[in-house]
Amino acid sequence: MQIVVKNISKDFGKKRTAVHAIKDISVEVDQGEFLGIMGPSGAGKTTLLNMISTNERPDHGQIIIDGLDLTQLHDRDQAKYRRNKMGFIYQSFELLDSLNVKENVILPLALNRSNKKLIEERFIYMMQLLNIENLSARAIDELSLGQRQIVAAARALINRPEILFADEPTGSLDSKSATILLNYMQMINQKEKTTILMATHDAFTASYCSRVVFIKDGVIFSEIVNPGNRDKFFEQIINMQRTIGGGDYFNVSQNN
Amino acid sequence: MYRKIIKRSLSNMRDSYLIYILACSFAIGIFGILLSMGDNPSVHSALSWWDDFIYDITTIMSSIFAFFAFIYMIYVGGFFVKQQRNEFLTFEKLGMPRWAIITISFLQTAIVQAVAWVIGLSVMLVFQKFMGMLLFYLMQIRFNFVMHIGLKSFGLLVDVFLISTLVLSLINAIKTMRILQKRQRRTIIKTRWWLRIPAGIFGVILLLTAQIVTLYLFKDMRIISYSSKPLTEIVYIMGADIFGTYLVYFGFLPTILNIMERIHSVSYSGINLFSFKYMKERLFQNISILWFVTELSALALALLTFCYFGYQAVHQNYNSAYPFELAANKDTVKVIRKELKKNHAQIKGSYKTAVKINLVSYYSKSSQSYIRQPMTFMSYSDYESLPKRMHKNNAKINSHEFLKIDYNSSLMYNSDIDEHNIEVKGAPMIRTAEQGNSFPYGSSMHFGPMMIVPDNYYEKMPSEVKDTFYGWDFKKGDRLKHSQMKKLENYRDAYYMKVEFESSLSKSTIEVMKKEPNKYEAATYTQAGFLRQGNLKKHFKQGGGFYLFIVALFSVALLVALGSVLTLRILLRDDYQSSQLRTLQKIGVEESEIKGIIRCENTLTFLIPIVFALIQSFAAIAMFDFGRHISKNIILIYAGYIVLYGLFGIISFKVSWRGIKQKFKL
Ligand SMILES: Nc1ncnc2c1ncn2[C@@H]1O[C@H](COP(=O)(O)OP(=O)(O)O)[C@@H](O)[C@H]1O
Ligand SMILES: [Mg+2]
Repeated sequence: MQIVVKNISKDFGKKRTAVHAIKDISVEVDQGEFLGIMGPSGAGKTTLLNMISTNERPDHGQIIIDGLDLTQLHDRDQAKYRRNKMGFIYQSFELLDSLNVKENVILPLALNRSNKKLIEERFIYMMQLLNIENLSARAIDELSLGQRQIVAAARALINRPEILFADEPTGSLDSKSATILLNYMQMINQKEKTTILMATHDAFTASYCSRVVFIKDGVIFSEIVNPGNRDKFFEQIINMQRTIGGGDYFNVSQNN
Repeated sequence: MYRKIIKRSLSNMRDSYLIYILACSFAIGIFGILLSMGDNPSVHSALSWWDDFIYDITTIMSSIFAFFAFIYMIYVGGFFVKQQRNEFLTFEKLGMPRWAIITISFLQTAIVQAVAWVIGLSVMLVFQKFMGMLLFYLMQIRFNFVMHIGLKSFGLLVDVFLISTLVLSLINAIKTMRILQKRQRRTIIKTRWWLRIPAGIFGVILLLTAQIVTLYLFKDMRIISYSSKPLTEIVYIMGADIFGTYLVYFGFLPTILNIMERIHSVSYSGINLFSFKYMKERLFQNISILWFVTELSALALALLTFCYFGYQAVHQNYNSAYPFELAANKDTVKVIRKELKKNHAQIKGSYKTAVKINLVSYYSKSSQSYIRQPMTFMSYSDYESLPKRMHKNNAKINSHEFLKIDYNSSLMYNSDIDEHNIEVKGAPMIRTAEQGNSFPYGSSMHFGPMMIVPDNYYEKMPSEVKDTFYGWDFKKGDRLKHSQMKKLENYRDAYYMKVEFESSLSKSTIEVMKKEPNKYEAATYTQAGFLRQGNLKKHFKQGGGFYLFIVALFSVALLVALGSVLTLRILLRDDYQSSQLRTLQKIGVEESEIKGIIRCENTLTFLIPIVFALIQSFAAIAMFDFGRHISKNIILIYAGYIVLYGLFGIISFKVSWRGIKQKFKL
């Protein structure tokens, strides 16, 4: 097991008005797994990802990655760990407005003080791969939301993280861009054995995963393993969504 | 609902408002103290000699102070409105009527102002006594300062509070209205490198030439009385410094950051990729404020320099005019001793020195004419045995050199050119004499210049008149009463010397007369009988203390204003700027690195103005410290200023980092 999450919980707010975002969740993720986390809005997907990626501390429970209990580390060490092993695609992109596309993408490499040649090589490779070479000199506020999402993905992937966290990565993409991104994620997942944790409420996106866990109201509701056929997996996911109920929460428009 | 909105936005900008309120209440406190000092009864009874003067000065000073404080409040109050631009625009989008938003802005200002006044007035109450005692201490008055606020001052304070709060709130409401009318969210600053690069280079050239001209000014300042060159230089330096600094801020500094950003081996390493851009953006936003602070700091330093050297010059001039509390000559010494004995005056030190008066003639370089006059001669060893303060401001001489002590025509500019070829009646010609302005026994004891000569020269030289000077220092003043002074008034002039100048010095003579000649002839000189300066000395010290008090108060106030402006500029980041720092943290940048960016931003914001201000105040030293070496005290004064200013920098860094960390925790 690469990632072991043991009985974590998280509350927001003060006593009387507290929101129990995560109640009691335990998950185990294998090295090289592509795990989907599904659930309606407000189910706690983002919170769960944030805690596993050490961006937030859980109130209770343990998060063990490669045998190391991350909840015991200092903020500083957590940041270092995060920077070296993890990549992030956030729901809200988290791009830096004052930098252009290229600078945003190469930022993780620059932070690790990689040499300039490597930076250029990786950058060109990434841009070609995601088919966004023409964007490299643009400013962030000149991009569409979908373009921002892809740029954010490029940044997350450029330093070949061992674990990639993706929070609704296709949320604002058109289906073509979404497919490109998902294919790429699947590829690095298979070729480089990158572990991927992806939160989504979209069944089509989730169908790229090797396993999907469903959470609702801060607890794990059930899980489905990919049987090896994406269409069949997609059906299963849709069915599970119906079972959980409240179809109006869900967005199933992007099937093809 | 409005109450909630106001409460929330006040608490959102808590730190910034706190600093603003503290700065304002400091200003209000000082204003109140100055105002109430004018009609304080203990000031009046302690300083009866100064009479209405203190009242006038404090009134004028407090109005000047209030005026600048008000400008500060208008200016800085605008920061807050600007900060809330997005919030106000969102309110409008949510359908809140315009007048309601404007009312919110108005009320917010009014509340902040009211809080500042409440704190400021309490500061005034608490510190009035302290400041009063400080004033008395500086004026060397032993008197208890009684806390007091006159009804008049209090009424005035309330009036000022009401009017200023109303006006400020209205101004901010109008600013809010203009924001709502304009609507645009983020103003994008144009880079315009084609303009910035040449402007920056020109700015650097201006600053450099200003410094070179300053070096010349050090040399040329002494000729200011008869040449327009120094004045031209000063005008050039001021212009070049002020505009050069602006151009450097506008063009040169951003260009440097830009170049560093372009050098990928530097910028593609670590957090630099972000921080260079961030700094550049912040610099662009703050150019005029940095410039403003720089020029005001330079002005403050120049004023401090001026005040220091002005004070020094007056002090020195005063000390050379009245070195003893009481001085007399051989004709008056008996009477004065008798009067002193009657009073049991405690004598701390008494001195006497024999002098010879003789005729001299020489060509004076400073007045460019031949001069024939009587001169007082004193021997070197007598001169050296007098207290040190009598000769420490004169040129140093050794036992075989001559020193000519003469009146100083100008308060500040010493003409330290040696005098040559002075003919003395019946004695060898004096080839060279050093120059000095500090008379032993005080300049008013003499009718003309004085010459310190080697002992054997003094022994051998003939004299037209022989005299002896006496001087006393006392423990608690000479205690001479009014009636005694009236009696002594008759001895004010000891004797008169009528000089008959003939074709040569050896034929010319001095006739001593006890009675004042009926009509003054050109060549009649008066020898003073006595000189009493104890009282004047006290007033002089008091005046000096008062002056010190005001100068210190104003410079601290200016420092607080400048420091708080910079701090607020740093604290009031645009929303998107602080969210960028949060993003950095999310993508795995260590907290220490983000802290480094904040520290760097702080350091630059505080360092740049003070460095450029120091460069500029160099010219002020050249202007007032003509020719002398840069004195130790002025360096101390500057260092004090920098330390206090640096303290603001540190506080600002701490507060700024705290604010960002709070946002991280959200
Ligand atoms: N910073 C926060 N402060 C307070 N409540 C929060 C915060 N973040 C999330 N929540 C609450 O926690 C719950 C889960 O949120 P989230 O994990 O963002 O859901 P999802 O990503 O599944 O839509 C929601 O009810 C949300 O309101
Ligand atoms: Mg979410």
